[in-house]
Amino acid sequence: MKKGYFYIALAALLLPILIRAFWFYRGTVERPEIATPDFASFTMPEAPLNENTNDEVEQLGGTVIIDQTHGNQFSMTEIAAFTSAIQQRGGKIETLNDSFSLDFQLKYASAFVSISPSFSFSPFEILSLQNFAERGGKILVFTDATRNFISIDFISGNPIAIGDSNAANSLLKVFDITVNNDYLYNTQENEGNFRNVFFDEFGKSELTFGLKEIAFYGTHSVESASGLILLGGSESNLSSMNDAHHPNHGGAALSADGNVAAFGDFTFLSSPYSNYTDNATLISNLADFVLTSEQSLTLQNFPYIFTEQTVNVYISPDLNKNTSLITALSGLQSSLRFRNIGLNFVDEVPSSGDTIIISTFLLDDDTQAIANKFDVEFNSTIQTVEFGEVSSSGTGIFLFDSTKNGNTLVILASISDDVIAMLSLFSGGSINSCLTADNIAVCSVGFGDDFGFGGGFSEETPFEEFPSEEIPTDVEATPTPSG
Amino acid sequence: MSDTNSSWERVRGGILWIVIPLIIGLILASSVVPKPVIGVIRLEDAIYGYSAQNMIKQIQYAAEHPEIRAVVLVFESPGGTVVDTEAVYFELTKLREKKPVVTAVNAMAASGAYYLSANTDYIYVKPTSLIGNIGVIGYLPPSPFIIEDIITTGPYKLWGSPRDSDMRQIEMVKQGFFEAVTLGRGDKLNAAPEIIFSGQIWVGSEAVRLGIADALGGEAEAAAKAAELAKVAHYEVTDLAELAGVNTFGGIFFLQSEDGMILPYPNKAGIYMLYIPPLPIQ
Repeated sequence: MKKGYFYIALAALLLPILIRAFWFYRGTVERPEIATPDFASFTMPEAPLNENTNDEVEQLGGTVIIDQTHGNQFSMTEIAAFTSAIQQRGGKIETLNDSFSLDFQLKYASAFVSISPSFSFSPFEILSLQNFAERGGKILVFTDATRNFISIDFISGNPIAIGDSNAANSLLKVFDITVNNDYLYNTQENEGNFRNVFFDEFGKSELTFGLKEIAFYGTHSVESASGLILLGGSESNLSSMNDAHHPNHGGAALSADGNVAAFGDFTFLSSPYSNYTDNATLISNLADFVLTSEQSLTLQNFPYIFTEQTVNVYISPDLNKNTSLITALSGLQSSLRFRNIGLNFVDEVPSSGDTIIISTFLLDDDTQAIANKFDVEFNSTIQTVEFGEVSSSGTGIFLFDSTKNGNTLVILASISDDVIAMLSLFSGGSINSCLTADNIAVCSVGFGDDFGFGGGFSEETPFEEFPSEEIPTDVEATPTPSG
Repeated sequence: MSDTNSSWERVRGGILWIVIPLIIGLILASSVVPKPVIGVIRLEDAIYGYSAQNMIKQIQYAAEHPEIRAVVLVFESPGGTVVDTEAVYFELTKLREKKPVVTAVNAMAASGAYYLSANTDYIYVKPTSLIGNIGVIGYLPPSPFIIEDIITTGPYKLWGSPRDSDMRQIEMVKQGFFEAVTLGRGDKLNAAPEIIFSGQIWVGSEAVRLGIADALGGEAEAAAKAAELAKVAHYEVTDLAELAGVNTFGGIFFLQSEDGMILPYPNKAGIYMLYIPPLPIQ
């Protein structure tokens, strides 16, 4: 009986607990094991250091002009690996500090390099650089997707990021190369970060010789319809423009003539990135590229038309070495010394080497042989292919012959005084006052015997000889044809 | 008289053997079987030392108190520092091994906040909540130089690490984040990794489609889901901040302009799991 009461009491005790338990709880919960990342297993992506460097470099010489006139967003220390490679090869680095010097500096430069420009190139600059490339000069344009120039919109007051692609394209478009206003990225295979992309497909060029893998660090994509894509990557290299892969867009492109190259990045020129993958080899190739311009020297390069340390000077026997001529020759010597070129006076026209031949129009056989190359005939007038018939009186001529054996400049005029005036023109370093074609320049240097107010060159009768009898002889004004 | 006595005996017996145990049972029931509580932990700030410690206190409180059967995390956060996010992540993992945890995203659970969300059992978002931005952001130190009046014992004592090394460490941190999301969401993810881990931030409805989140809903739905996972009914929803003795008055994480405006950038350089709104640059 007592036992029965106990169970009743126990049931009464438990009943509210059970009711409450069933009211609130609907079962037991089995919690799964929660998996967490194995943090200890994660490692830093290793830098792809490549210690294989080619210490043997060829001494090439040459001058590389580095643009500093277009709001270029870089410092020289950032491209130290590139400039060092140039200097190792005997190359000289010069900067372009004002646009007005561009034409002049391109006369002697082997290459022009513009890095991350912010401001567009002017039509004149583009024309100069186009001419430079056409005569064999090398042009390198580096851009960088990480370089943006922040400007303020004058109307809205909003900040605007201006990249370097537009400014670079102002120059590159004439070479059919376009730097896209994007960046390449790869989330699957990259060099430490999605924006650092690898390139392992290379267009055949001296620039890509010996390359197996290149890493760029924040690069625009570059394209060229007529040229060559130098650096191509895997299909997982995507453009930020549309998150897609473009097989015709790469990290760099070369123009069809092989003289102009554009790169979407220049960070690879900086340490430590310059020693990763085959970037050092690419930098070596770039240094070779800018110093091995096979420029055909023409009078457009004047006065930088000699490439050797010494220039032979041959003075025709019909010229009297009087004080005026000696003064003119000393001026010539000074101007050449300024460019580290010495003079060597010779009695015969040498068969090789850089040479200056100074003569009147009474040519000796050696000089005549050179003149014949230009189809120039000296009679009472000068007959030229480029300018037609030109009065010989008061006129001087530069003939320039650039061959494998050397560069020869022939300085001719009708009389000794005019020859001296021509030498002064040379020493002055400018032939802007002359009519100039690639290898011949016709200059007005004296009064001659047929000069008059009605004389000289006119639009109606260009370069035609004027009858000497119509020319007044008492006029002393110096003709100054516009140059 | 004997009948009266007998009746009284029966009543007394009933009181003794039924009513008193019943009353005792009723009294004991509330302590033996406490009313289930769904604890709510709110993060309405960036994740940094102060806010992370507040969260950890509440998580530990929830883990230690049996009446708290499940937890709802309510996010209104752009993320924050890596180390503080990881600190909360580890505590959250310990809690999840005991109790279900459900996320309710208000305006935003970005970057580090999503890192934590991924370590919960279910994620509710509002149709226009911002969620995702999976990834790490860091400011590289400057190239090292020496300063006349500062003497250090090594080249990186002042600068922390070489710039290149910093970039690679950020990549390592990223691996942890991606792995946490992969483990947390598993087969629920409906898009390729290159999309999920692209750093995009999505609105809630798109996030559900991609499997970044589970369903559209708010705190009430999250509490109901937490109760369902904890197998409880007639639960009470309680904010844990006060119970855990947390002072929700915030610290300073974001940069403040001279005129007192709070900017969306952290006030010191470092590595972050943080969503920074796009710069106002065209």
